[in-house]
Amino acid sequence: MLKVEDLSVSFGGVRALQNVNFEVHKHEVLGLVGPNGAGKTTSFNVLSGVVKPVSGTVTYDGHDILKSSMHQRVTYGIGRTFQIPQPMHELTVRENLIVAQRFGRPDGKVKQDRIDEILESVNLSHKSESDAATELALTERKALEVAKALATEPTLLMLDEVLAGLETTSKKLFMETLKKIRKQYNLSMIVIEHDIETIMNMCDRVVVFNFGQVIAEGDPEETFRNPEVVRSYTGEVLA
Amino acid sequence: MNIKFSAAFAIVMYLVIPFTLGDNNYLIGLVASALIIAGIAVAWALLGNLGGMVSFGHAAFFGVGAYTSAVLTMDHGVPVFVALVMGGIGASISSIFMMPALRLRGPYFALAILAYAEIFKILAVEATSITGGAGGLLSIPTLPVFMGIDFGTKLGGYIVILNIVCLTLITYHFIRKSTYGLALKAMHDSEMATRIVGVPATYLKIVMLLVSAFMTGSIGAFNAHYINFLEPDYAFSGSWTIFPIVAAIFGGYRTLSGPVLGALFIYLVDQLVFKSVMPQGHQLILGAMLAGMIILSPSGLLPILTKFFAPKKNIKKAEGQHA
Repeated sequence: MLKVEDLSVSFGGVRALQNVNFEVHKHEVLGLVGPNGAGKTTSFNVLSGVVKPVSGTVTYDGHDILKSSMHQRVTYGIGRTFQIPQPMHELTVRENLIVAQRFGRPDGKVKQDRIDEILESVNLSHKSESDAATELALTERKALEVAKALATEPTLLMLDEVLAGLETTSKKLFMETLKKIRKQYNLSMIVIEHDIETIMNMCDRVVVFNFGQVIAEGDPEETFRNPEVVRSYTGEVLA
Repeated sequence: MNIKFSAAFAIVMYLVIPFTLGDNNYLIGLVASALIIAGIAVAWALLGNLGGMVSFGHAAFFGVGAYTSAVLTMDHGVPVFVALVMGGIGASISSIFMMPALRLRGPYFALAILAYAEIFKILAVEATSITGGAGGLLSIPTLPVFMGIDFGTKLGGYIVILNIVCLTLITYHFIRKSTYGLALKAMHDSEMATRIVGVPATYLKIVMLLVSAFMTGSIGAFNAHYINFLEPDYAFSGSWTIFPIVAAIFGGYRTLSGPVLGALFIYLVDQLVFKSVMPQGHQLILGAMLAGMIILSPSGLLPILTKFFAPKKNIKKAEGQHA
């Protein structure tokens, strides 16, 4: 479904990604893990078109997406969220979703019943007419971030630390919501998350990043026992 | 714009003013001049107030529209009303050269557009064989007689510019109410948030620039046939940018009727009140009033009027309808 091959990104002299390879299969939830600065969000930025890579190829459902605009990638079915929620300021929650439906769907049609369904799924129905920028709490902003992406009717949803900053109870509830959404919309997902429990709970497979490289991948439980992965988290210098 | 306000505006502009001021060429001319600024202010607001692209280059569209229409009527015999549309198209074409500036944001966009405007002014001076150079063009055809109505009179010109302003307002209204308007409003402060859900932000900016340039160019074309002469310093004067910006912000930031209200208020108060009190340097009083207004009510004149005239329980609703 999504295939990333030999992807490299540089910011000035810094190699943010070095020959990264990974795949996401249909209906799979892939976790991207690793310490801060490892290259996880940079990978998302490349996939969504925010950052241009130096080299490499990325194909999604047969499309060479590195040649496509951000707008086209969304219409191909790639949706994403940001770690720091980015609501469309000055619009209500419902208007945020209307814009996402209108421009993110290939046919450009706005379906109010679909918007209502998404608002219900992320528990934002009661806030649909609220101001997105000023009247939402952090959990609700995170929910709106997911709802906006869902409104574009993605087949691949990329969640960038969507649970970060939430207290334990909210985090658990939100995680359940995400699992429900995955089933409801038959989604593939890529999840960036630091919380190991969340990764174990949600992901079918993980890819571990460190210093811009993929150092391990596989079943979550086995991968987190990998000594190299443990060292990357504890900061031990490799021999 | 709510229906009551629209109806009142239409009655005053189409009935009260023509019947009370129609015989007074000076006063009807003043209102027509205010409407010229109002029309540009609406066109500017489409870019600046709605899309967050603050342009200091609308004088270029005004000038290009004016010259396009004047040259087409004088040298090629194009009918004046057709030439008004061609003036708008000419301005839209000129805006294509400004499109690289759409990659810039905030003050950088504003400065780049200002530089483009200066280039067009220089071209008008240098292209002597087409524009008449610094000497300009004289005897530009007046607005014609159409269906028995002489639009070449001050009152006729007033009716034409009033119709043009109403068309720009209607266009602005429909864009604001559409999903394109929602996306533009969102792009104002959160461009990345819109791009990531598939909004083709650059394409939208291009379309808005073309539409805004078309509106301004048509008004410039009207003005050329209304005053019957053109010269580059006048046609590309910074006043065609500054006054509309002031009107659009003073009238009511991000409101529909604010730019028109602001232009009428600023221009008429300046010409009828301040000028009679202080014939030389009356702009000083205008400047002081604008500064005071922006300090006291940054959202502009319209919210103040809404608060003053609307029953208290309806204030919020009325503001919502105007906003």
